[in-house]
Amino acid sequence: MVESTPENPNYNITIVKAFALCAVVYLIVGSLVGDLIAWQLSFPALNFNEYLSFGRLRPLHTNAVIFAFGGCTLMATAFYIVQRTCGVPLWSNKMAWFTFWGWNLIIVSAVISFPMGWTSGKEYAELEWPIDILIAVVWLSYMFNFIMTIVNRKVSHIYVANWFFLGMMIMITYLHVVNSLAVPVTLTHSYSIYSGVHDAMIQWWWGHNAVGFFLTAGFLGIMYYFIPKQADMPIYSYRLSVLHFWALMFGYVWLGAHHLQYTALPDWAGSLGAAVSLAMIIPSWGGAVNGLMTLSGAWHKLRDDYVLRFMVVSLAFYAMSTFEGPVMSLKTVNALSHYTDWTIGHVHSGALGWVAMVSIGAIYHLVPRLWKTEIHSVSLVNTHFWIHTIGTVIYVCAMWVSGLMQGLMWRATDDYGNLVYTFAETVVAMHPYYVLRSVGGFLVLIGALIMLYNVVMTIKANGQSKTAAAQV
Amino acid sequence: MNSLTEFFSTDWEAMTRSDWTGMVIVIILTVLMIGLYTWVFKPSNRDHFEQYRDFVNENNEEMKRETGHGQTK
Repeated sequence: MVESTPENPNYNITIVKAFALCAVVYLIVGSLVGDLIAWQLSFPALNFNEYLSFGRLRPLHTNAVIFAFGGCTLMATAFYIVQRTCGVPLWSNKMAWFTFWGWNLIIVSAVISFPMGWTSGKEYAELEWPIDILIAVVWLSYMFNFIMTIVNRKVSHIYVANWFFLGMMIMITYLHVVNSLAVPVTLTHSYSIYSGVHDAMIQWWWGHNAVGFFLTAGFLGIMYYFIPKQADMPIYSYRLSVLHFWALMFGYVWLGAHHLQYTALPDWAGSLGAAVSLAMIIPSWGGAVNGLMTLSGAWHKLRDDYVLRFMVVSLAFYAMSTFEGPVMSLKTVNALSHYTDWTIGHVHSGALGWVAMVSIGAIYHLVPRLWKTEIHSVSLVNTHFWIHTIGTVIYVCAMWVSGLMQGLMWRATDDYGNLVYTFAETVVAMHPYYVLRSVGGFLVLIGALIMLYNVVMTIKANGQSKTAAAQV
Repeated sequence: MNSLTEFFSTDWEAMTRSDWTGMVIVIILTVLMIGLYTWVFKPSNRDHFEQYRDFVNENNEEMKRETGHGQTK
């Protein structure tokens, strides 16, 4: 353990810097692969060979944005927040660096194994069993270090952001281990120990909770720290944040079954998933309102605070997607929306709108403070904000229209009960929207490149101004 | 039997062990959630929670504030 005093807490800022920088780079990698596969869907000729085909690159995209970009953001912010809110440095710097190198090794393994076609075939958990074991070990090191830092805290209160991070860490451990149980055949091939509908249920129990805990709970921890910090305002209601936390922890684990409406899964399980999904609107909106109302009396700050803009828009997307999700889980809506691009639009409303924007806001908040300087260019951050927002709106709207059209065309029948459209006709009808989606994704990629340039130039000016540094 | 009664009717004899386990968990979680709502929104607990509203903005003040509430270790 690192020795520290209240006057000189000796926080480990280097590890936060490393994870933050990786997050910026992985945002580009994830967006690049994502946009490439979007163009491949628009123009199949772009599937040059088997290594760069849609089927192999799609899991690379999802893993890069969720676990590489999202994971590094969560690790940077969790290590930053836990030190500052507990008043002590990390319990173990060595373990933090083990987490860093281990996590990056996993990412490199994904970059190699997916183009090679080595996959377990489980969505958002495609990596094969040796890497799954490595993920469990590295994740546990992250969690153990975090918990031990809390154990050694100087204040008795554990701030709500740490509760959200802790909830994420515990649940992801449980979900990852249970979902990844498999019988190994070779180093690059295994079979899930589950079969049939049980496999489907376990898959979506994991799949939705990867959204609920990895992409929601952890990022809510970011929201509850960085919004009051950036706005320099108290949280609107701490009671609401406590309620938000427990309701999320109790409720989210039940939702997975709504991914399996109209399948071999018992009907009641799907109904339960839909009912709890609807119930989750209350805490989700409570949390979004809590974040937005924190700006009560300080809305004028949005005029010139580029970081707050990212965070406020992220909360608007959080509120939208946590309303849209439960609506889509209802059987009547699901009958139209499921298996269509509407789902893709919904996912990206949450991923690009909520997760990416709150992460980008947090990183822009952190970079000047970590490198003891001011941001290189505020106008470039503003450009990033508008490009990212416009790109996301184009993407999401294109997929909404495409998805609705797809669903309606698939189930259109004539007076004799025959299908009106062939599948190929629906594909042709979707083509313009697929191109539009690719353009939206391209804008997000451009925004990420601008961010990298701005961050690198900021780091180059390391130590030139002490204004922001005083706040570290 | 009207449609509502039919909708909520249950064949208790057909309940499997999994069904009972699930139902018990749901009931326990429902009771815990009601308890949570009551605890959090009880007016006398307001200050207990809301003292932490500006926890992140008061650098170096956490210790003092918690001492005031007798909570510092």
